[in-house]
Amino acid sequence: MTRRYSRRDFIGLALSAAAFPWLACKRSAERVVNFFNWSLYISPKTLPRFTERTGIKVNYEEIADDEEMFAKLRAGVGGYDVVVASDYMIPRMRELGLIDPYPAGALKNLRHIDPKFRATPYDPDNSYTVPYMWGTTGIGYNRGKVKSPPQSWWALWDESYRGKISMLDNARDNIATALLLKGYPETTTDPKAFADISEMLSRQRPLVKQYSSGTYIDNLITGEISLAMSWSGDVLQAARENPQLDYVIPKEGSYLWVDNLLLVRGGPNREEALQLIDFLLEPEVNAEITSFVRYASPNASARKLLDPGLLSDPRVFPPASVMKRLRIHALLPPETTQLWNQTWSDIKLG
Amino acid sequence: MKRVLASHLDRGLSWLIRGRDRRASHVLLAPATVWLAVFLVLPLAWLIALSFIRSGPYGSFIWSFNLQNYARALDAKYLPVVLRTLAYAGAATGLCLLLGFPLAYFISFYAGRWKDRLLILLMIPFWTSSLVAIYCWMIILGQEGLLNSLLMTLRLIDEPLNLLNTPFAVILGLAYFYLPFMVLPLYGSLEKIPRNYLEASYDLGAGAFRTFFKVTLPLSLPGVVAGCILTFVPCLGDFLTASFLGGPDSYLLGNLIENQFLMGQDWPFGAALTALLLVCMAGGMALYRRLEAQESWQR
Repeated sequence: MTRRYSRRDFIGLALSAAAFPWLACKRSAERVVNFFNWSLYISPKTLPRFTERTGIKVNYEEIADDEEMFAKLRAGVGGYDVVVASDYMIPRMRELGLIDPYPAGALKNLRHIDPKFRATPYDPDNSYTVPYMWGTTGIGYNRGKVKSPPQSWWALWDESYRGKISMLDNARDNIATALLLKGYPETTTDPKAFADISEMLSRQRPLVKQYSSGTYIDNLITGEISLAMSWSGDVLQAARENPQLDYVIPKEGSYLWVDNLLLVRGGPNREEALQLIDFLLEPEVNAEITSFVRYASPNASARKLLDPGLLSDPRVFPPASVMKRLRIHALLPPETTQLWNQTWSDIKLG
Repeated sequence: MKRVLASHLDRGLSWLIRGRDRRASHVLLAPATVWLAVFLVLPLAWLIALSFIRSGPYGSFIWSFNLQNYARALDAKYLPVVLRTLAYAGAATGLCLLLGFPLAYFISFYAGRWKDRLLILLMIPFWTSSLVAIYCWMIILGQEGLLNSLLMTLRLIDEPLNLLNTPFAVILGLAYFYLPFMVLPLYGSLEKIPRNYLEASYDLGAGAFRTFFKVTLPLSLPGVVAGCILTFVPCLGDFLTASFLGGPDSYLLGNLIENQFLMGQDWPFGAALTALLLVCMAGGMALYRRLEAQESWQR
């Protein structure tokens, strides 16, 4: 679920996007796999290592958000073998026939996955998903630019930060958080609840410098904004560039989400795709990715190999007391999803 | 053997290029026609068709004819976005004219042998990727960006100005991208002004100021109108500039449409909005054609 274009990788992104169709059809004898992932969601060492070991070339393409990936797959843009998608996307991708189930026993490293991340509501029989990383939605902030470290979501409604606030640009995080703050169940369709949260989010709008799921990280790093509704790993990666940056899960609670490796239906390189996914599940490989992307790993064996500092970092692996305040997104029927999208779209009209 | 082949080739080429033969012009037009049909007409037809259907669960298509997307698009709640888009496009066009006219005037009247080189320089930013250019503007306009650092160093300001994610940044970005669309028609119409008209004006005792307002400016008006339309129309559909350089107050029609296709997963509604925008744009272009035709008739 991390999705950022940063200054330094957008050129590479543009280049790889331009080269993708060419690479994908180059030399049919060469073994390839086409992997569609969020940006900065893998260690730079991972894929070269895979290619070195297996001889399989990875065409790696980066994507900005779930919705963009979904729109692309739905529009029938072919050629992808493996995509990463968040939990709540799975049922609709399955329903629309965009993904295939995993062949039984195809992944020998699946045993490393923590059982807590299996038999989930979005994939009860474990047939379509392999968890890749998980993370939380919270507040990223610049220690040097806030009065005191924010503890509550309401810091994002604080008048004194007018023009210094950024919110993620999607219905999912904004509506869900607003419903949570107002004490409504996530599945509600009550018009009163939606009028209530619309008022609340519209009231915040004049304080917001930008709605962004990508460039907000750059703006946090440069100090352009002080507080941002953020995804955990994004901020913690950015903290390498600006040590003033910190991340907090607000006291009112928040959402945790699980990103999954999926097999695209009709993907041309199934055998290679399975080999890649199995590779990503290897404890050592997975641990290396985790320590680079600073999202949490659902891989129990990989966690044992992590630096104790990272493993005990409550911002990456929240302690039990914080976990109690985290929930996963409810699976909404299509009409409710439509209501969410419409509500969010109307708030942005201003 | 080689010579025979060359002469065949030569004859073939001259049939294509110089011949008045109808078939030759068909052959020449075929690639462009096929290109336009496949990559413009077909997708456009698909888009128009989409605008008349309904979207079902998770943005799937329900193929039943109806006009509800258009009814929705005309909802009053979208009016602020439409007016905002017109205002931004208007402001960007005004800025382009303000920057473009002196530039075109200089190139046409004073650049001499540098003319061609200056015109190429004008086009170069247009050839760079718009994403690269937008990121450059973010680096320039940021709180700790080049512009603020410069102003602070010169002690013109004490606190960094808030420039990024403001309407100012969006209008500046739009003007930057579409400046060539303004300058080229202006330059064209300034070039067409016979220089002896100006001499005549001076001979009859008018000063530089009067000559400009009585002769040069009126004669360049077709270029002004053309430049304004050619700048205004594409500004209406822009979304990239607003989404990167703008804030919540810079949510334009292009962003609303983008939102329907990606986040909103409501392609039919997005298609209806696009169709309406296209009608407005086509109207603008028709106006342009008409003015152009009038102009050539007058001459």
